[in-house]
Amino acid sequence: MIKDLAVMIAGKAGDGVLFTGNVLARLLKRHGWEIVTSRDFPSNIRGESTCYTIRASRDKIYGLSDHVNILLAFDCEAILAHLPEIAEHGIVFCDGQGLTEPLPEQARGKTFHRFALRAFAREQFGQEIFKNTMALGALSYVLDIDTSLVEGIISEMFLKRKGEEVVRKNVEAARFGYEKAREITSETERHPLTRKADEDRILISGDEAIGLGALAAGCRYFAAYPICPASEIWQWLVYYLPDFGGVVVQTEDELAALNMTLGASFAGARAMTSTSGPGASLMMEAFSLAGMAEIPAVIAHVQRLGPATGMPTKSQQGDVLQWIFGSHGEFPRIVLSPGTVGECFDLTVGAFNLAEKYQCPVILLTELDMGQDYRTARAFDFSSVVIDRGKLLSPDQLLGMADFKRYEITPDGISPRALPSWKKGIHLAESLEHDERGYRDEDPLNRRRMMDKRMRKLDHASPDLPGPRTWGCQKAEVGFIGFGSTLGAILEAMEQLRLKGVPSRFLQLRTLWPFPAAEVREFLAESRDVFIVEHNFSGQLATLIKSQVSPCAELKNILNYSTRPFMPREIVEPVLRSRR
Amino acid sequence: MKAKEFYHRLNPTWCKGCGLFGIFDAIKRAAAALDKEPEDLVIVTGIGCHGRLNNYFNAYGFHGLHGRTMPVAMGIKLVNPRLQVVAMSGDGDAYSIGLGHFVHALRKNIGLTYIVSDNRLFALTQGQASPTTDFGTVTLSTPLGSKEFPIDGPSLALAAGGTFIARGFSGEVANLAALIEHGMKHDGFALIDILSPCVTHNKVNTYDWYREHIVHVQDLPGYDPKDRAKAWEALSNTEKLAVGLIYEEAKPSFEELVLPDKERPIASLDLKVDVSRLRKIMDRFR
Repeated sequence: MIKDLAVMIAGKAGDGVLFTGNVLARLLKRHGWEIVTSRDFPSNIRGESTCYTIRASRDKIYGLSDHVNILLAFDCEAILAHLPEIAEHGIVFCDGQGLTEPLPEQARGKTFHRFALRAFAREQFGQEIFKNTMALGALSYVLDIDTSLVEGIISEMFLKRKGEEVVRKNVEAARFGYEKAREITSETERHPLTRKADEDRILISGDEAIGLGALAAGCRYFAAYPICPASEIWQWLVYYLPDFGGVVVQTEDELAALNMTLGASFAGARAMTSTSGPGASLMMEAFSLAGMAEIPAVIAHVQRLGPATGMPTKSQQGDVLQWIFGSHGEFPRIVLSPGTVGECFDLTVGAFNLAEKYQCPVILLTELDMGQDYRTARAFDFSSVVIDRGKLLSPDQLLGMADFKRYEITPDGISPRALPSWKKGIHLAESLEHDERGYRDEDPLNRRRMMDKRMRKLDHASPDLPGPRTWGCQKAEVGFIGFGSTLGAILEAMEQLRLKGVPSRFLQLRTLWPFPAAEVREFLAESRDVFIVEHNFSGQLATLIKSQVSPCAELKNILNYSTRPFMPREIVEPVLRSRR
Repeated sequence: MKAKEFYHRLNPTWCKGCGLFGIFDAIKRAAAALDKEPEDLVIVTGIGCHGRLNNYFNAYGFHGLHGRTMPVAMGIKLVNPRLQVVAMSGDGDAYSIGLGHFVHALRKNIGLTYIVSDNRLFALTQGQASPTTDFGTVTLSTPLGSKEFPIDGPSLALAAGGTFIARGFSGEVANLAALIEHGMKHDGFALIDILSPCVTHNKVNTYDWYREHIVHVQDLPGYDPKDRAKAWEALSNTEKLAVGLIYEEAKPSFEELVLPDKERPIASLDLKVDVSRLRKIMDRFR
């Protein structure tokens, strides 16, 4: 019985790879399987190679596997590029010409079928676009997915937007694909997946999970400038915020996006912005203002490959230190990093509470892989969402106060907050160094007191911060430390290592700042070999650990700064090599 | 009606004779004329000599970063449209580092009053050339004379779709107060560009110089601030600077267009978690 399988859809941008992949992922999810997807797209609308991988498993998975079992390619060029990834007994469907005989060496042990999707679509349905649902039909045959699921999803997608006729033709195209696949493949080539109950689960991207988290957490103001791969948060929220009384505003640039977020927060909204790459650099300016004026703000940064414009559709973890040490001056900030879509939701809710409790900027640091790829998760639990607005007063509380000071020096450094329009709450949000009421003050003693006040706000925050999570065998000698979307590959690698008799464990950091030094120190002390796994060139997390844990054990970096996410073998191999 | 003293917090420490005194007075008079509660007034300032205003004015305030008054003020206005939001910049803040934000604020026609105090140079940093410095002017940053041609805020505003464009002179406080008051009542974005002498660094554009070089649009025969062509004509005269309400037009404000309910400001929404509604939204991911 098949327990785990990966399907890849490949073609040129504009071929409908994204559509086909997304629908197949949802089909497999409804078939009851756990899903992780990965898209590899150029920063281009049409013409260049793209591929979409869906890994499905009966058991919980977090990352991709090393192999692809079924490849459906809308052109043959895609096949040659992905030949090495295709597993033994893999099956390949290819539209179009160009698969030259004899097949390359790497094609051995794999079955190839020419499947003229485009031509069939044109002949049978008058338009090439039907090749996509035809491909879905063909795959549903190979995977043995109920036609009722396929037809249900087609109707869901097209009925409202395009009408019955389009639904009917697409259903026919899917049936045609199903029959054609049955004709051209032998029974032994099929990869039947036993259906499971689709329990209380969802299939969601990290960006959407952040959007849903923001909505649940009471975010009612969202300002941003379009940028890949963060725009999905906004494009999702834009449909829902107005229904909840909120607003989404497109700004002229990211300078405005964060400044506007701060204005909105100052006036009383739970406010958020999102960005990536160069946009984050522009936000560095107002990041410092949020710190100085103690204005709560949530900034979601979905990292992409840099520097400069880099590769806007490729993932990377190269902006970690920018948020931890970046901007001018010193001020408290919190940097969170979710490793699963469930954590994207939870940490977003947490981010809004932390921002208001500690009156400082909170960064939700994810990556393109986390933001745009789909993963199954347990349905989010809204009943556990708590909204904590910290020391935000009420108008009545304010009236009862003898003397309100917005930046009052308190033992925990956190001061009461009032909103414009409230009686007796007048104050100034000041970017200059200021006194307890917010007015400019250049007195050296005041400067020290205010700096101490701001900087001690996070001294005792650790119980409120998402702590590191430990995965794997407790006593293992091999340890991994990582954060964010590398979690999937690390867990896969640990499973492969276990099968090779090498137990390991993994410390997943979910708060990168304030740095969880005690937990990391303990983990380092208990492991013999520690590998820091990061999707960047220089090992920013390793640099951070070395700066925060002293003395620090020897750390080995496993780095990937390529355009693709980590494959499990890229983590397994260096570990095995180091043990020889 | 409140007395203007009601809004006075501290005596300013600007240079004696600075045009900002007149502007400070005019804003207080306008607020008093409109009987604004100080709690319902938010003044957002940028960086420059004008930015000290918050320290002297009794109202909620936000003294942000250089050039970024517009996005901050917009965020405040959209979250609580009942507030009277007045933003203030200098010529460097508005027309140099904040120029992009200025044009987009005009484009959005959001309900803010934008007061730009133009002294034709960067005064707080000791007198460098600004975007409104005349060609050839010798400043700290242009010892051989400025090689750039100045830009004009009101003309930019007219080109960018401004719906309330006025120019005042800080030497004429009563007129200025009336313009600001009018701007604060305008439904949409109101620019009040103010010719304001810097007595320390600008020895050319003095009070007397301005008195000789301004013309009040209401004195122009047949002037109508609703007439765009006339507004262009008045603004094109570089010998005589047009002062007064130059252009006015009715257009829906941004807050009117984008806020789901202006009567329920975002600032006072109940954020309670609506579990069943959120679950319904989540069902789309099943």
